Amino acid sequence: MAALLIDQEVGVAALDERAARRSLLLQVAGLERALSRNQSEAFPDQLQLTPLPSGAARLQDLERLELLRDALVGAVAESRAALIERQERRDSAQERLEELLLDPRSNRRVRITQRELGVGGCGVWSAVPRLGPMGRLMGWWRVKLSSGCPLAT
Amino acid sequence: MQRGWIAPRLAAEFPELQLATLRAQCISVDSELGVSERLALLASRFNGRQAIALREAPIASAYRTFFRQIGIDPEQQRPPAEQAAVERLLSGGNPPQGRVADALLLALLETSVPVYGFDAELVTEPLGIDLSPSGSLLLADSERPLWHLFAPAGSDFFAVPKSRQVLLAAVGAPGVPGLALDEALWLAQSALSGS
Repeated sequence: MAALLIDQEVGVAALDERAARRSLLLQVAGLERALSRNQSEAFPDQLQLTPLPSGAARLQDLERLELLRDALVGAVAESRAALIERQERRDSAQERLEELLLDPRSNRRVRITQRELGVGGCGVWSAVPRLGPMGRLMGWWRVKLSSGCPLAT
Repeated sequence: MQRGWIAPRLAAEFPELQLATLRAQCISVDSELGVSERLALLASRFNGRQAIALREAPIASAYRTFFRQIGIDPEQQRPPAEQAAVERLLSGGNPPQGRVADALLLALLETSVPVYGFDAELVTEPLGIDLSPSGSLLLADSERPLWHLFAPAGSDFFAVPKSRQVLLAAVGAPGVPGLALDEALWLAQSALSGS
């Protein structure tokens, strides 16, 4: 009778562990997909995230799966925060560009790169005087998008 | 075509994990012109944006997820299809590397399913995916382990350019349809045997 009770307990524990592993594997799969989406969204920038556990291909024990799941939760949150921060920087750059377009003379020292705006290419927005020194003397300014130099930096 | 065996504990954990194998005759060391042209065409139609989007394609995504689940960080060690995409971007093309390598690359680029070629004279069928006592995943034949699955280092049992009989093995991550494995194997066999 005691042996039967012990066997049933061990059986229940094994079932519980299998269920726990299945649940963790599903969670890891979902988190990996979310992380992957965020990394794709970050292109062409690369997200600098806390390194995740890595090794050779092996069956993970329950503890490792939990650690991996927790690390992925952190990574997804980190990546989301990085994307939000990047969007805020882009919004700020867009506002500065609009101010530059409205009043080039007052913003003549402002330079905004295409990269800051989240647009492809290596151009730079800046204010330049019309007609060179004459424009500078007369206060005639315009906004120019330079082509940028692909060899710079 | 044969279906490979999966160690019971591994099959219980990943019921959809598959292995399929197919024998192929390798008729020469160098690829046929048709295979080289196909690789060049695949390279010319591929760009950086597609490389980034590849990770979200269904089959490539399945391998990425599986890598993560078995403890490999797919950002540090990319799944085979993504690694091939990055190499294509860095090298600017798919230069010929010998009949066996080109056949495996063609199958990978067309289907995103990794195919590995073993020297058929060195291995004993059937092949399968086994577990070591420490839980490492091994691609094994009926007698011994051949290769740590997905290990960047190769295996002494891989086919070399001079191999005449090649045993092709396609590893299917959970979520990859069996049809994709079959297609990958047929593509590789066709490229090797010239049929």
